[in-house]
Amino acid sequence: MDHDPDERAPASPAETLRLIEAGRAAAQRDFQPDPRLTYGPWGVAWLVGFGLLFLRFGPDGRVLLAMPELLPLLVLYVLLVAAFVISGSAGMRAGRHVRGVSSIQGLRYGVSWAAAFAGVVVIASRFADLLPDAEASLLWSGLSVAVVGVLYIAGAATWQSREMFTLGVWITLVNIGGFLAGPGWHSLAISLAGGGGMLTAGFVEWLRWRRGQC
Amino acid sequence: MSEEPTRGGAPTPDHELDPVIHAQARLRVMVALSVLREGDRLAFPRLQELLGMTAGNLSIHLRKLEEAGYIEVVKTHQGRTPTTLLGLTRRGRLAFEEYTAAVKALLSLTEEK
Repeated sequence: MDHDPDERAPASPAETLRLIEAGRAAAQRDFQPDPRLTYGPWGVAWLVGFGLLFLRFGPDGRVLLAMPELLPLLVLYVLLVAAFVISGSAGMRAGRHVRGVSSIQGLRYGVSWAAAFAGVVVIASRFADLLPDAEASLLWSGLSVAVVGVLYIAGAATWQSREMFTLGVWITLVNIGGFLAGPGWHSLAISLAGGGGMLTAGFVEWLRWRRGQC
Repeated sequence: MSEEPTRGGAPTPDHELDPVIHAQARLRVMVALSVLREGDRLAFPRLQELLGMTAGNLSIHLRKLEEAGYIEVVKTHQGRTPTTLLGLTRRGRLAFEEYTAAVKALLSLTEEK
Protein backbone atom coordinates (compact mmCIF):
# COMPACT_ATOMS: atom_id res chain seq x y z
CA MET A 1 0.00 0.00 0.00
CA ASP A 2 2.86 2.34 0.72
CA HIS A 3 3.76 2.42 -2.97
CA ASP A 4 0.40 3.95 -3.67
CA PRO A 5 0.97 7.67 -4.36
CA ASP A 6 -2.25 8.46 -2.49
CA GLU A 7 -0.81 6.93 0.65
CA ARG A 8 2.26 9.12 0.41
CA ALA A 9 2.48 11.84 3.01
CA PRO A 10 2.97 15.41 1.81
CA ALA A 11 6.66 16.22 1.48
CA SER A 12 6.93 18.78 4.25
CA PRO A 13 4.82 20.73 6.75
CA ALA A 14 4.85 23.65 4.32
CA GLU A 15 3.57 21.43 1.53
CA THR A 16 0.91 19.98 3.85
CA LEU A 17 -0.33 23.42 4.80
CA ARG A 18 -0.36 24.48 1.15
CA LEU A 19 -2.47 21.39 0.32
CA ILE A 20 -4.89 22.19 3.14
CA GLU A 21 -5.29 25.81 2.11
CA ALA A 22 -5.64 25.09 -1.60
CA GLY A 23 -8.16 22.30 -0.92
CA ARG A 24 -10.17 24.48 1.41
CA ALA A 25 -10.31 27.39 -1.06
CA ALA A 26 -11.32 25.08 -3.92
CA ALA A 27 -14.09 23.47 -1.86
CA GLN A 28 -15.36 26.82 -0.63
CA ARG A 29 -15.54 28.13 -4.21
CA ASP A 30 -17.36 24.97 -5.22
CA PHE A 31 -19.98 25.15 -2.44
CA GLN A 32 -20.74 28.87 -2.95
CA PRO A 33 -22.22 30.21 -6.19
CA ASP A 34 -20.19 32.75 -8.17
CA PRO A 35 -21.36 36.17 -6.86
CA ARG A 36 -21.15 37.57 -10.39
CA LEU A 37 -24.00 35.21 -11.30
CA THR A 38 -26.07 35.75 -8.16
CA TYR A 39 -25.90 39.58 -8.09
CA GLY A 40 -24.90 40.60 -11.63
CA PRO A 41 -28.07 39.68 -13.56
CA TRP A 42 -30.30 41.44 -10.99
CA GLY A 43 -28.07 44.52 -11.11
CA VAL A 44 -28.31 44.63 -14.91
CA ALA A 45 -32.09 44.10 -14.80
CA TRP A 46 -32.55 47.06 -12.45
CA LEU A 47 -30.03 49.26 -14.22
CA VAL A 48 -31.55 48.74 -17.67
CA GLY A 49 -35.21 48.11 -16.76
CA PHE A 50 -35.66 51.00 -14.33
CA GLY A 51 -33.41 53.13 -16.51
CA LEU A 52 -35.84 52.71 -19.43
CA LEU A 53 -38.79 53.37 -17.10
CA PHE A 54 -37.16 56.65 -16.05
CA LEU A 55 -36.52 57.68 -19.65
CA ARG A 56 -40.06 56.87 -20.81
CA PHE A 57 -41.93 57.94 -17.65
CA GLY A 58 -39.78 60.72 -16.24
CA PRO A 59 -40.57 63.12 -13.38
CA ASP A 60 -43.80 65.16 -13.85
CA GLY A 61 -44.88 62.88 -16.70
CA ARG A 62 -42.06 63.98 -18.99
CA VAL A 63 -40.95 61.65 -21.80
CA LEU A 64 -37.15 61.91 -21.94
CA LEU A 65 -36.79 59.31 -24.65
CA ALA A 66 -39.62 58.37 -26.99
CA MET A 67 -40.42 54.64 -27.06
CA PRO A 68 -43.51 52.44 -26.95
CA GLU A 69 -45.25 52.66 -23.57
CA LEU A 70 -45.01 48.94 -22.90
CA LEU A 71 -41.34 48.57 -23.79
CA PRO A 72 -39.67 49.53 -20.46
CA LEU A 73 -41.86 47.21 -18.39
CA LEU A 74 -41.48 44.41 -20.92
CA VAL A 75 -37.68 44.75 -20.86
CA LEU A 76 -37.68 44.89 -17.04
CA TYR A 77 -39.77 41.71 -16.73
CA VAL A 78 -37.73 39.78 -19.30
CA LEU A 79 -34.49 40.76 -17.54
CA LEU A 80 -35.94 39.87 -14.12
CA VAL A 81 -36.98 36.43 -15.35
CA ALA A 82 -33.51 35.93 -16.86
CA ALA A 83 -31.92 37.00 -13.56
CA PHE A 84 -34.13 34.55 -11.66
CA VAL A 85 -33.08 31.70 -13.96
CA ILE A 86 -29.36 32.56 -13.98
CA SER A 87 -28.95 33.18 -10.24
CA GLY A 88 -31.25 30.29 -9.34
CA SER A 89 -29.34 27.79 -11.42
CA ALA A 90 -26.01 29.05 -10.04
CA GLY A 91 -27.36 28.54 -6.51
CA MET A 92 -28.71 25.10 -7.31
CA ARG A 93 -25.43 24.07 -8.90
CA ALA A 94 -23.52 25.09 -5.79
CA GLY A 95 -25.98 23.35 -3.49
CA ARG A 96 -26.49 20.13 -5.43
CA HIS A 97 -25.72 16.91 -3.59
CA VAL A 98 -25.47 18.79 -0.29
CA ARG A 99 -28.04 17.68 2.27
CA GLY A 100 -28.76 18.99 5.70
CA VAL A 101 -29.10 22.37 7.39
CA SER A 102 -27.91 24.35 4.33
CA SER A 103 -30.52 22.88 2.02
CA ILE A 104 -33.30 23.53 4.55
CA GLN A 105 -32.02 27.07 5.04
CA GLY A 106 -31.90 27.72 1.29
CA LEU A 107 -35.37 26.30 0.77
CA ARG A 108 -36.91 28.41 3.55
CA TYR A 109 -35.16 31.53 2.29
CA GLY A 110 -36.58 30.83 -1.17
CA VAL A 111 -40.04 30.48 0.34
CA SER A 112 -39.63 33.86 2.08
CA TRP A 113 -39.20 35.53 -1.34
CA ALA A 114 -42.25 33.78 -2.75
CA ALA A 115 -44.31 34.66 0.34
CA ALA A 116 -43.24 38.31 0.29
CA PHE A 117 -44.01 38.79 -3.39
CA ALA A 118 -47.35 37.01 -3.09
CA GLY A 119 -48.27 39.68 -0.54
CA VAL A 120 -46.95 42.50 -2.74
CA VAL A 121 -48.91 41.30 -5.78
CA VAL A 122 -52.20 40.94 -3.87
CA ILE A 123 -51.93 44.31 -2.14
CA ALA A 124 -50.53 46.34 -5.05
CA SER A 125 -52.89 44.99 -7.70
CA ARG A 126 -55.90 46.00 -5.60
CA PHE A 127 -54.75 49.53 -4.87
CA ALA A 128 -53.06 50.18 -8.23
CA ASP A 129 -56.49 50.23 -9.88
CA LEU A 130 -57.54 53.15 -7.69
CA LEU A 131 -54.50 55.30 -8.48
CA PRO A 132 -53.32 57.44 -11.42
CA ASP A 133 -50.79 55.54 -13.60
CA ALA A 134 -47.67 57.24 -12.26
CA GLU A 135 -48.70 56.64 -8.62
CA ALA A 136 -49.73 53.07 -9.37
CA SER A 137 -46.34 52.20 -10.82
CA LEU A 138 -44.64 53.91 -7.86
CA LEU A 139 -46.70 51.71 -5.53
CA TRP A 140 -45.64 48.58 -7.41
CA SER A 141 -41.96 49.37 -7.58
CA GLY A 142 -41.75 50.92 -4.11
CA LEU A 143 -43.30 47.87 -2.44
CA SER A 144 -41.27 45.40 -4.50
CA VAL A 145 -37.95 47.10 -3.85
CA ALA A 146 -38.78 47.44 -0.13
CA VAL A 147 -39.25 43.67 0.01
CA VAL A 148 -35.97 43.06 -1.84
CA GLY A 149 -34.05 45.28 0.61
CA VAL A 150 -35.48 43.51 3.64
CA LEU A 151 -34.88 40.05 2.18
CA TYR A 152 -31.22 40.88 1.47
CA ILE A 153 -30.83 41.91 5.11
CA ALA A 154 -32.51 38.66 6.19
CA GLY A 155 -30.25 36.73 3.81
CA ALA A 156 -27.23 38.43 5.36
CA ALA A 157 -28.40 37.22 8.78
CA THR A 158 -28.80 33.70 7.41
CA TRP A 159 -25.45 33.45 5.61
CA GLN A 160 -23.40 35.91 7.61
CA SER A 161 -22.62 37.99 4.53
CA ARG A 162 -21.37 41.51 5.09
CA GLU A 163 -21.87 42.51 1.45
CA MET A 164 -25.44 41.27 1.47
CA PHE A 165 -26.20 43.19 4.65
CA THR A 166 -24.73 46.45 3.32
CA LEU A 167 -26.61 45.97 0.06
CA GLY A 168 -29.92 45.37 1.87
CA VAL A 169 -29.53 48.52 3.96
CA TRP A 170 -28.45 50.50 0.88
CA ILE A 171 -31.40 49.32 -1.21
CA THR A 172 -33.79 50.19 1.63
CA LEU A 173 -32.40 53.72 1.90
CA VAL A 174 -32.36 54.27 -1.87
CA ASN A 175 -35.94 53.01 -2.10
CA ILE A 176 -37.19 55.31 0.65
CA GLY A 177 -35.32 58.30 -0.80
CA GLY A 178 -36.55 57.65 -4.35
CA PHE A 179 -40.09 56.99 -3.17
CA LEU A 180 -40.23 60.30 -1.31
CA ALA A 181 -38.84 62.12 -4.35
CA GLY A 182 -41.79 60.75 -6.34
CA PRO A 183 -42.61 59.04 -9.66
CA GLY A 184 -39.80 59.13 -12.20
CA TRP A 185 -37.14 59.93 -9.64
CA HIS A 186 -37.78 56.60 -7.95
CA SER A 187 -37.00 54.76 -11.22
CA LEU A 188 -33.79 56.74 -11.62
CA ALA A 189 -32.71 55.99 -8.05
CA ILE A 190 -33.41 52.26 -8.36
CA SER A 191 -31.68 52.11 -11.74
CA LEU A 192 -28.44 53.85 -10.84
CA ALA A 193 -28.07 53.49 -7.06
CA GLY A 194 -29.99 50.20 -6.71
CA GLY A 195 -28.69 48.41 -9.81
CA GLY A 196 -25.25 49.95 -9.36
CA GLY A 197 -25.24 48.86 -5.71
CA MET A 198 -26.02 45.29 -6.68
CA LEU A 199 -23.24 45.20 -9.27
CA THR A 200 -20.81 46.65 -6.71
CA ALA A 201 -21.83 44.16 -4.01
CA GLY A 202 -21.43 41.30 -6.50
CA PHE A 203 -17.98 42.52 -7.49
CA VAL A 204 -16.77 42.95 -3.90
CA GLU A 205 -18.06 39.51 -2.89
CA TRP A 206 -16.51 38.00 -6.01
CA LEU A 207 -13.09 39.32 -4.96
CA ARG A 208 -13.39 37.23 -1.79
CA TRP A 209 -15.08 34.28 -3.49
CA ARG A 210 -12.32 33.72 -6.05
CA ARG A 211 -9.82 33.41 -3.19
CA GLY A 212 -12.14 30.88 -1.57
CA GLN A 213 -12.90 33.09 1.41
CA CYS A 214 -16.66 33.28 1.22
CA MET B 1 1.55 17.45 -6.94
CA SER B 2 4.87 19.28 -6.86
CA GLU B 3 7.30 17.91 -4.35
CA GLU B 4 9.22 20.25 -2.14
CA PRO B 5 12.54 19.07 -0.85
CA THR B 6 12.45 18.48 2.89
CA ARG B 7 14.37 21.15 4.69
CA GLY B 8 17.66 20.08 6.21
CA GLY B 9 17.55 19.36 9.91
CA ALA B 10 13.76 19.52 10.08
CA PRO B 11 12.13 16.95 12.34
CA THR B 12 10.34 14.27 10.32
CA PRO B 13 6.67 15.08 10.80
CA ASP B 14 5.45 11.55 10.22
CA HIS B 15 5.93 10.39 13.80
CA GLU B 16 3.82 13.13 15.28
CA LEU B 17 1.04 13.58 12.77
CA ASP B 18 -2.13 11.48 12.70
CA PRO B 19 -1.29 8.74 10.16
CA VAL B 20 -4.93 8.32 9.14
CA ILE B 21 -5.05 11.91 7.87
CA HIS B 22 -1.40 12.25 6.89
CA ALA B 23 -1.74 10.75 3.40
CA GLN B 24 -2.47 12.99 0.44
CA ALA B 25 -5.74 11.40 -0.65
CA ARG B 26 -7.28 11.24 2.81
CA LEU B 27 -6.05 14.69 3.71
CA ARG B 28 -7.86 16.06 0.65
CA VAL B 29 -11.05 14.24 1.66
CA MET B 30 -10.83 15.63 5.19
CA VAL B 31 -10.20 19.18 3.92
CA ALA B 32 -13.18 19.08 1.53
CA LEU B 33 -15.54 17.68 4.17
CA SER B 34 -14.30 20.16 6.80
CA VAL B 35 -15.55 23.01 4.60
CA LEU B 36 -19.11 21.67 4.84
CA ARG B 37 -21.09 23.24 7.65
CA GLU B 38 -21.78 21.09 10.66
CA GLY B 39 -25.09 19.37 10.02
CA ASP B 40 -24.52 19.17 6.25
CA ARG B 41 -23.62 16.06 4.30
CA LEU B 42 -22.18 15.69 0.83
CA ALA B 43 -23.21 13.02 -1.67
CA PHE B 44 -20.48 10.68 -2.93
CA PRO B 45 -20.53 11.76 -6.62
CA ARG B 46 -20.06 15.42 -5.73
CA LEU B 47 -17.07 14.67 -3.50
CA GLN B 48 -15.62 12.47 -6.24
CA GLU B 49 -16.04 15.26 -8.79
CA LEU B 50 -14.56 17.86 -6.44
CA LEU B 51 -11.46 15.78 -5.72
CA GLY B 52 -11.09 14.26 -9.18
CA MET B 53 -10.60 10.76 -7.77
CA THR B 54 -11.91 7.47 -9.16
CA ALA B 55 -14.88 5.97 -7.34
CA GLY B 56 -12.92 2.88 -6.31
CA ASN B 57 -9.99 4.84 -4.97
CA LEU B 58 -12.20 7.27 -3.08
CA SER B 59 -14.12 4.36 -1.53
CA ILE B 60 -10.92 2.82 -0.18
CA HIS B 61 -9.91 6.01 1.57
CA LEU B 62 -13.41 6.71 2.83
CA ARG B 63 -13.47 3.26 4.42
CA LYS B 64 -10.24 3.99 6.27
CA LEU B 65 -11.58 7.30 7.52
CA GLU B 66 -14.82 5.63 8.55
CA GLU B 67 -12.93 2.90 10.41
CA ALA B 68 -11.08 5.60 12.34
CA GLY B 69 -14.42 7.14 13.26
CA TYR B 70 -13.60 10.38 11.42
CA ILE B 71 -16.38 10.34 8.88
CA GLU B 72 -19.95 9.15 8.88
CA VAL B 73 -21.27 7.32 5.84
CA VAL B 74 -25.04 7.34 5.51
CA LYS B 75 -26.68 5.22 2.84
CA THR B 76 -30.05 6.54 1.85
CA HIS B 77 -32.41 6.73 -1.11
CA GLN B 78 -33.17 9.68 -3.32
CA GLY B 79 -36.36 8.43 -4.92
CA ARG B 80 -35.25 5.04 -6.24
CA THR B 81 -31.59 5.90 -6.58
CA PRO B 82 -29.41 4.85 -3.67
CA THR B 83 -27.28 7.74 -2.41
CA THR B 84 -24.28 7.76 -0.11
CA LEU B 85 -23.96 10.85 2.06
CA LEU B 86 -20.71 11.76 3.76
CA GLY B 87 -19.78 14.09 6.56
CA LEU B 88 -17.18 14.52 9.27
CA THR B 89 -18.03 13.18 12.71
CA ARG B 90 -17.37 15.37 15.73
CA ARG B 91 -14.31 13.25 16.37
CA GLY B 92 -13.16 13.68 12.78
CA ARG B 93 -13.54 17.45 12.94
CA LEU B 94 -11.51 17.53 16.15
CA ALA B 95 -8.84 15.22 14.71
CA PHE B 96 -8.55 17.44 11.63
CA GLU B 97 -8.23 20.58 13.76
CA GLU B 98 -5.53 18.94 15.83
CA TYR B 99 -3.76 17.75 12.69
CA THR B 100 -3.80 21.26 11.20
CA ALA B 101 -2.53 22.74 14.46
CA ALA B 102 0.26 20.13 14.60
CA VAL B 103 1.31 20.92 11.02
CA LYS B 104 1.42 24.63 11.82
CA ALA B 105 3.49 23.94 14.95
CA LEU B 106 5.91 21.84 12.91
CA LEU B 107 6.15 24.56 10.31
CA SER B 108 7.03 27.24 12.85
CA LEU B 109 9.61 24.83 14.26
CA THR B 110 11.19 24.38 10.83
CA GLU B 111 11.14 28.11 10.17
CA GLU B 112 12.88 28.85 13.46
CA LYS B 113 15.81 26.62 12.58
